[in-house]
Amino acid sequence: MAALSFQDVSYSYPGGARAALDRLTLDVEPGELVLLLGESGCGKSTLLRAALGLVPHFHGGRLAGRVIVGGLDTREHRPGELARAAGLVFQDPEAQLVAEGVVSEVAFGLESLATEPGRIEARAEEALMAVGATGLADRSTGSLSGGEQQRVAIASVLAMGQPLLLLDEPTSQLDPVAAEELLALVTRINRDRGVTTVLAEHRTGRLFGEADRVVVMDAGRVSFSGTPPEAARRLALDAPWLLPPVTQAFIASGRPELPLTVREAKRLLGTRAESQAVAGPAGDAAVRLERVWARRGQVDALRDVTATLAAGAITAVMGENGAGKTTLALVAAGLLEPRKGRVHTYGRSGYVSQNPAHHLLRETVAEEVAHALELARTPAAERRRRVSDELERFGLASVAGRHPHDLSSGERQRLAIASVTVGRPAALLLDEPTRGMDGLRKLALADLLRSLAADGTAVGLVTHDADFAAEACDLVTTIARGRVLADAAPRSVLSEGAFFVSQVGLATGRARTSEAAAWLRITAGERLHA
Amino acid sequence: MKPLPAALPCGALLLLAVTADHPLILAAAALCSLLLLLAAPPPHAPYIWFAVLAGGLVAAINPFVGVQGLTPLWRGPDLPLLDSEVTAEELAFGAAAALRIIGSALAVSAFVRLVDGDMLARGIARVAPRSAMIGSLGARLLPTLERDAAGIVLAARGRGVELRRRRTATELVAPLVSLSLERSLALAEAMEARGYGGGPRTARPARRTDTRERVLIGAGVALAGLVAAVLAGAAPYTYYDLLDDPLSSAGVALAMAVVAVGGLAVGAVRWPR
Repeated sequence: MAALSFQDVSYSYPGGARAALDRLTLDVEPGELVLLLGESGCGKSTLLRAALGLVPHFHGGRLAGRVIVGGLDTREHRPGELARAAGLVFQDPEAQLVAEGVVSEVAFGLESLATEPGRIEARAEEALMAVGATGLADRSTGSLSGGEQQRVAIASVLAMGQPLLLLDEPTSQLDPVAAEELLALVTRINRDRGVTTVLAEHRTGRLFGEADRVVVMDAGRVSFSGTPPEAARRLALDAPWLLPPVTQAFIASGRPELPLTVREAKRLLGTRAESQAVAGPAGDAAVRLERVWARRGQVDALRDVTATLAAGAITAVMGENGAGKTTLALVAAGLLEPRKGRVHTYGRSGYVSQNPAHHLLRETVAEEVAHALELARTPAAERRRRVSDELERFGLASVAGRHPHDLSSGERQRLAIASVTVGRPAALLLDEPTRGMDGLRKLALADLLRSLAADGTAVGLVTHDADFAAEACDLVTTIARGRVLADAAPRSVLSEGAFFVSQVGLATGRARTSEAAAWLRITAGERLHA
Repeated sequence: MKPLPAALPCGALLLLAVTADHPLILAAAALCSLLLLLAAPPPHAPYIWFAVLAGGLVAAINPFVGVQGLTPLWRGPDLPLLDSEVTAEELAFGAAAALRIIGSALAVSAFVRLVDGDMLARGIARVAPRSAMIGSLGARLLPTLERDAAGIVLAARGRGVELRRRRTATELVAPLVSLSLERSLALAEAMEARGYGGGPRTARPARRTDTRERVLIGAGVALAGLVAAVLAGAAPYTYYDLLDDPLSSAGVALAMAVVAVGGLAVGAVRWPR
C-alpha cells in the first residue's frame, strides 16, 4: 500500500478562479524520499496540505477525487485524526509555534494525540536529540533564531512518530550552512528511520541528487515523475532553472553530462578553474559607512564597520543568521542611527523590508505605489506618470486596481520594491528579497535589479542565497559577528570561500553560471583538442 | 517556574500592597516586589516604567485633589476644582498611594515574569481548556503584533513615509489587522496539522516541585501570615487629620518581617537550578 496516494484529485480554493490541483494522480511508496519541484503557485503547498486533509477541511473549497494517507481517506477524516499518519512542517517556522517553552512546543503534538502522559517528556527529548537541538530544551521559543525554530518545528513533528513527513520549503529562511544541515538531517531521518518524506523546495542543490524520486508540478498537475537523472534530462529541455545550479552551468555550456551534485561535477571535471577576479563597475560611492558601531537591542550588531555601496552597482551583503546584515542595511538606509562612526550619503536611500506585507498600507496597488509621492507633494501629473512607469516596469499594471493583500507573494515582493523605487532613491537596500522565490522569479528579480543599477542606483542586497548573489551582483560585502570581512569585493569571491560560495563556484571555480559555462566550454575544447 | 510557587509570594505581596496602610509596610512590599521582578527573567524595564509612572502620577495629583490635613506646607492661587493648599498629610497620603500602586503593579509583573506560561496554561486548561489555549495564543500574538507594527513603520520610513502624524498613524491599523488575521490563520492551521481538535488530549505530567520552589511556597505562606496580621489590625496607621508616627514598633516589626521573608523569596528565585 502506498504511504500517500492522490487519485485523480482536483481542488479549488474558495473563490479561486482556477484549480490549485487539477486531476492530479501520484503515489508515494513507503520509505521514499520525494523532491517536489515547480514554480511558485504550481500547487506544491496545496498538495502537501491536501495530504493532511487541511485541504479542504481547514481551507474550504471544492475537492474531487481521493487522497489516501496511511490508509485513511482525507474526505472522511479530519486533520486532527490524519495527524497520526502524517506530519507537516510549514515554510514559516515562527507561524507554527504554539507554546512558550521548547519542550512544551515539542510535546504539543504528542498531547494532541493523547499520548500516554508518562511517555510524552521522553519522546519530546528524544525528538530534540534527533534534530541536534537538546541544547535548546530550556529556551523559550521566542528567543530562537530562524534555524533553531525550524529544527524545533521538525522535532515537534518527528516526536509524533508519523510514518510520513511532509516539508514545505523548510530552508527558505536559513543561511547556507543551516540549510545544508537541515537538508542533511531530513535525508538522515529518511534513510535511518525509514520515514517517508515528501519535500517541496526551491534550493535544490543539496537534495536533487539525494532524492529517490523527483516530481515536477505545473499548473496543479504532475508534469513529470522519475529518478533524479531522468528528471534532469527532462528539465534540461523544459525548465533548467529548477535544476541545481551546477547542472544549469553544464547545460549552459552545451556539455552533454548532467551532474546533479558538486561532487559529481568535480569528478567529471577533474580540475577547477584558477581564481580570476572579475572587476565590478567603478561607480562613485552612494553610501559610505565609516567605522560604524550600531546596536540592535542590547547587542552591538555592527562593530567598527567600514563599507561602501557604489552607484550603478549591485552589492550583495552576505553573512550567517545574526551576523549583522540587516543592521548594516538599516544604517546604510538611514533608518538606524549608529552609536559611533559616520555615514556619508549622497542622495536619499530606500529600504525594502524582508517582509513585503510590511509595505502594504493602501487600498489598491496603484495607491500603494503613489503613497510616497503623495506625501512628498509631487504634482499630480508627474505622480501619475511615475506611478504608471513603475507599474509597467515591475509588471504590475494589470493588477493596479487590486487590493495589495490579494496579490501573490511574488507580486507583493515586486509591489514592495516599486513602492520604494518610485521615490527614485540614490541607494536601494533590499533585505532578503528572494525568500521563498522560485528560480524563474529570481532570474526576473535579477533583471529588475540590473535595470535599476543601469539607471545609476546603488543597489544593496542582503541575502543568504550565494547562488543568487553570484548571478545578480557585481560586488560582495561579507560580514560575520558584526564585523566586515570583505568590503565590496569582486563577486569572484563567491567561488573561493568556504561559507559564502555558490554551488557553481564550488564545482568550477567560477561564481556565476555564465562564467562557469564559458570555462566549461573551454575545458571541453581543450580536452577535445588533446 | 510552576504557577503555585510564583503565585503565592507575588499574591501575598499584592495583598499587602492593597490592604496595608502603614507606609513602612507598603514600602517593604514594593521593595520586595521590585527585587522579585529583577530576579526574574528579563525584560524588566517596561514593567518598572509603567509602575513608577502610574504611582508618580497619583503622588503628584493627590495634594491638589485632597482637602484634608492640618499641617499646611504651601498655598497657591485659587483654581476651580483644585485644592490649592498642600498639606504634609496630603503629600504623605499621596506617597503611600503611589507605593500601593507601584507595589501592586510590580507584584503582578513579577508573577508574569516568573511563571512558566505553558504550565500556567496547562493549569487553567484543567478547568477551561479552550479559554486556556485562546489566552496562551493571544499572549503569544501580542509580541508578534508589536514586531509587525515596528516593521511597518520601518518599511514606511524606508520609502520616505513618516507614520508619526495622527492621520498617517491610523494607517497602521488596517495592515496590522490584516497581518494578525493571516498569522492567526497560519497558527490555527499549524495546530490542526499537529492533531489539535482530533479528540481528547493528554498532558505531560507536571515535574516535581524543586527545592527553590518549596522555599518560595514557604515564603508565600509566611507572607500570607503577615497579610493576616495586617488585616487583623496589627499595624494601623492614619494619615488624616494628623500623621501617625511611622516608626511605631508594630509597623517597623511587620515591615522588617516583610523584607526578611521577601528577601528569602528573592534569594530562592536567584538561586541557580
